Amino acid sequence: MNKNRVVRLTKNKDSYGITFNAMASPCEVIIQSTDKQLAAKLGELIATEVWRIEDKYSRYDHSSVCSAINNHAGHSVAIDEETYLLLNFAEQCYQLSDGFFDISSGVLRKVWSFQGAQASEGNNDKFPTAEQVKQMLKNVGWRKIYFDQKQITLEKGMEIDFGGIGKEYAVDRAIILAKQLTNSPVLVNLGGDLAVTASRLNNEPWQVAIEHPGRDNNHINFADMIISLKSGALATSGDARRYLIKNGKRYGHILNAKTGWPIDQAPRSITVVAPQCIQAGILATLALLQGANAEQFLKKQEIKFWARR
Amino acid sequence: MKTNTNIKAALTIATAALLGTSNAAQAETTSTAGVEESAWEFDSAFLFYSEVDRVSASEAIINATKTFADDQVLNLKLTVDVLTGASANGAVAQPNVQTFTRPSGNGQYTITAGDTPLDDTFHDTRVQLNGQWTQLIAPNYTASGGVHISKEYDYLSLGINGNIAFDFDRKNSTFSAGFSYFQDTFTPEGRIPKPFTSMLIGDSSSGSWDDDFSETRIGSEDTKTTTDILLGFTQVINRRMISQFNYSYSMVDGYLTDPFKILSVVSDFNAPDSGIAQDYIYESRPDSRIKQSIYAQSLYHFEHSVLDISYRYMWDDWKITSHTIDSRFRIPLGDTFGRESYIQPHFRFYQQSAAEFYQPFLIDGDTLPAYASADYRIGEMTTFTVGLKYGLLVNNGDDLSFRLEYYRQIPTNAGFDEPGVLNDVDLYPTIDAIIGQVTYSF
Repeated sequence: MNKNRVVRLTKNKDSYGITFNAMASPCEVIIQSTDKQLAAKLGELIATEVWRIEDKYSRYDHSSVCSAINNHAGHSVAIDEETYLLLNFAEQCYQLSDGFFDISSGVLRKVWSFQGAQASEGNNDKFPTAEQVKQMLKNVGWRKIYFDQKQITLEKGMEIDFGGIGKEYAVDRAIILAKQLTNSPVLVNLGGDLAVTASRLNNEPWQVAIEHPGRDNNHINFADMIISLKSGALATSGDARRYLIKNGKRYGHILNAKTGWPIDQAPRSITVVAPQCIQAGILATLALLQGANAEQFLKKQEIKFWARR
Repeated sequence: MKTNTNIKAALTIATAALLGTSNAAQAETTSTAGVEESAWEFDSAFLFYSEVDRVSASEAIINATKTFADDQVLNLKLTVDVLTGASANGAVAQPNVQTFTRPSGNGQYTITAGDTPLDDTFHDTRVQLNGQWTQLIAPNYTASGGVHISKEYDYLSLGINGNIAFDFDRKNSTFSAGFSYFQDTFTPEGRIPKPFTSMLIGDSSSGSWDDDFSETRIGSEDTKTTTDILLGFTQVINRRMISQFNYSYSMVDGYLTDPFKILSVVSDFNAPDSGIAQDYIYESRPDSRIKQSIYAQSLYHFEHSVLDISYRYMWDDWKITSHTIDSRFRIPLGDTFGRESYIQPHFRFYQQSAAEFYQPFLIDGDTLPAYASADYRIGEMTTFTVGLKYGLLVNNGDDLSFRLEYYRQIPTNAGFDEPGVLNDVDLYPTIDAIIGQVTYSF
């Protein structure tokens, strides 16, 4: 694993920008202050925290807590308070979604390979059989996981994956640290999931551009959308580039944890605004899981969102 | 998926538990897609209060809140109360039947031997309207202003208020300062009685009655003004606890007497008919009152439940002091009954000392004091309230709750010796009441 862990500091007109790489994404912190020492300290603090969360919860990292839990499926593994709180949060998302959101559903990726799929009929070989999906589904099910404040036990063959909440959680943690360090306005952007500590000076909003997911696809260049953010967070769920096509039908990468099959007619991506980033991320994911009813679901919850189909 | 439950609200709580942040966080955005205002949110409530053999009150409330794009909040509240029943007139119980004149002067009523004299003509309808506007005026400064109007058959109250709140220490602390001013006009039926004059009792159909009754009156209306100043401090102690401290200073000037209340003047300890009422005179109170209070409240969030405890100490220049302890414990029941619900037990304890001019009765032949009132509400007493509220989320996340409470008021003797026959009657009757409330928020 490439751990190119460098924090870069750049001076802008009335702010400092801090960039680093984490969680397979470009990350950026902006602080509206001309205090270089403060900016450097903030950058170091946030990057360290984001890398800490990545090391602890990445399923790719063999020394992570996540891997320790997955590699000892069938046995109990001791956990700390932070892991317990995350599991507890995942539990509540599972309940709120009636089981559609399930952090144990990641094993389905072993039969569903959307990685590198192209928009052509030529990738049918990657399409699983119904039997393969059925077999793998036996290893999915949050209800089969036992955990309490001290330990977690997975059934043999099961895995959990914090991918659906880890990045957003890191954004929220970074915002908490930034608020503790300084009163200057700060924006934290981890690969498109972002939040701000406050409005910019003089109550000015932050101008945030969301990349249109169709941008790189088939040369169609949609305009980015500009959103003014004064407080809170936004997160995007979905990825227009990850899908399979079989018999002319498009299968998106959002899987139904109950059936093991892709959700039908889900938007390609959804961007949601909420007070906390992890909330925005979950709401976007829960909406995608609604398939054709995604927009209706968010409207009913009176949430500000943008959906791409 | 549970599209009918309020997932946004549930997630807010789950997120707060994960991050240890307060739920008050807001997301403020505008976008090229345009700014949206929230829809009106409504609370409606129906309350029923009933004292055994005394006053019953029904109250309907509708409360509407709208949040505009820039976090400006408009709140409108309409309250309608209907009161009926009987209220103690201040006279003491006697071993014989007693006759009193109604406050209007039109007719008399009699009270059975041994009973606390109650005036059963108590009937009133009150309509009250409040409007409040709140907005951010600068970063960390929130200002609020409001108006109040309340009208009863014989009472008009007009008020204004203003408040400013300042957040600091990364919004962990809030300091607030507020004031309010009320102007009340009282036009009681039967006009305002002259303090300490005797209640006219006799044949109200006789030719001279109206003139004689007018002799006991000093005017048809009077006013009072109330100015309140409130200072508050709120502090987030940690991720589970928030505390609030308030100090309030209240000045009331004008007509503070209750025109419907009288005092019994009874024969002295050595008289052969010791303790028997010789006269009933209208009460008299000072024309100003300065009240101060300190208040502390803490909310503690356990793993699932929330404990809310508060204490208030009030003192005034009428020498009344009071202690109030109020506590609520909210216990979520989860989806036990197919819907998300909670129960909330409530316990309240209140104790007050008597005003310095409180007298359960006057002794015939003694010099009249400057002020005197036998109103049990400014006498020594202890009260308890115990109750239970059950709330559940219904369609679309609307909140429905039911509250049932039992209230007991125990007036006590503030150190007055009772002459003769008064020893055989109950001068400090206990009052029991039931309170029921249904609230629906949508």
